[in-house]
Amino acid sequence: MAVDWKRFILILVAGASLGLAWNAGSGRGMALGQSVLVQAGDELVATRAGKVLLDQGALFLDARPRDFWRMSRIPGALPLPEEDFERAFQEAEPRLRRASAVVVYCSGYGCEASHLVARKLREKGFAAAILDEGLPAWQDAGLPLDEEPRS
Amino acid sequence: MSALVAHPRVQLVLRLLLGALFVYASLDKIASPAAFAKVIYQWQVVGPVPSNLVAVTLPWIELAAGLLLLAGAWKREAALVVALLLVVFIAAAALVMARGIDVQNCGCVSVTANTAPSAWPPAWTKGVGWFLVARNLLLLGVAMALVVVTPVRRPAPLALPVPTE
Repeated sequence: MAVDWKRFILILVAGASLGLAWNAGSGRGMALGQSVLVQAGDELVATRAGKVLLDQGALFLDARPRDFWRMSRIPGALPLPEEDFERAFQEAEPRLRRASAVVVYCSGYGCEASHLVARKLREKGFAAAILDEGLPAWQDAGLPLDEEPRS
Repeated sequence: MSALVAHPRVQLVLRLLLGALFVYASLDKIASPAAFAKVIYQWQVVGPVPSNLVAVTLPWIELAAGLLLLAGAWKREAALVVALLLVVFIAAAALVMARGIDVQNCGCVSVTANTAPSAWPPAWTKGVGWFLVARNLLLLGVAMALVVVTPVRRPAPLALPVPTE
């Protein structure tokens, strides 16, 4: 008895179709067209636009754990790790008040920290854009990093 | 070995175990597609939008194949779908490991974030690593046994010829 390929394809197609139909019609679905990390109110800024903002003096905030910031960072970025938000926010607040624009970044891909930090900042009354695809995209574009170790 | 795998009762047990596992694994993902999409995105194998599509469709394929295995209908084809999924999972895990990406919750069965580190089950059973690859290879073996091997019924003992006098 051999494999019936029509049945094989049918299982795959029927399963996928059911999933798409459930997502569209159940009321419990999710938006498919954008990153799942993006919520209403999030403002994204692309890598190149981020570089322009940096050159214009925007304040960059590093949402990764502090040890990563200590190793390397976008030039001038302050640490604002998501897991230590309140303490780091107090350190950064004077700079935030003076900043013309604020951009938060983390390690890209599935990294949610920049989104969470930007939302917390919004709750505190500071508008902050999220660097789309984060630090990996910044490095891939050949943009500068400050790699001098900090304590 | 092949005689053992071909035994109808062994085939039944393998089919029910694999089917139940895939049905069980699909439920949490179907309940929380956004959480599952985040986990897929963290694997860094596909981008944000394909991650969403996989999150929405994959659990339903697992559910369909799992239910067919439990029901015993289209057994070979359902097992082959499971085998295909496992090959994709193994390849993706190999890619994640080769790139040195740390995925702490593979999203294989449960997609809800485990914030509190618990002693049991240990972390290495949850993340993407050798344990996951070994487990999926074992499951792939089970799935292929269901695809390839035809159950063989042992012939009933022949009735003894009644001696005639």
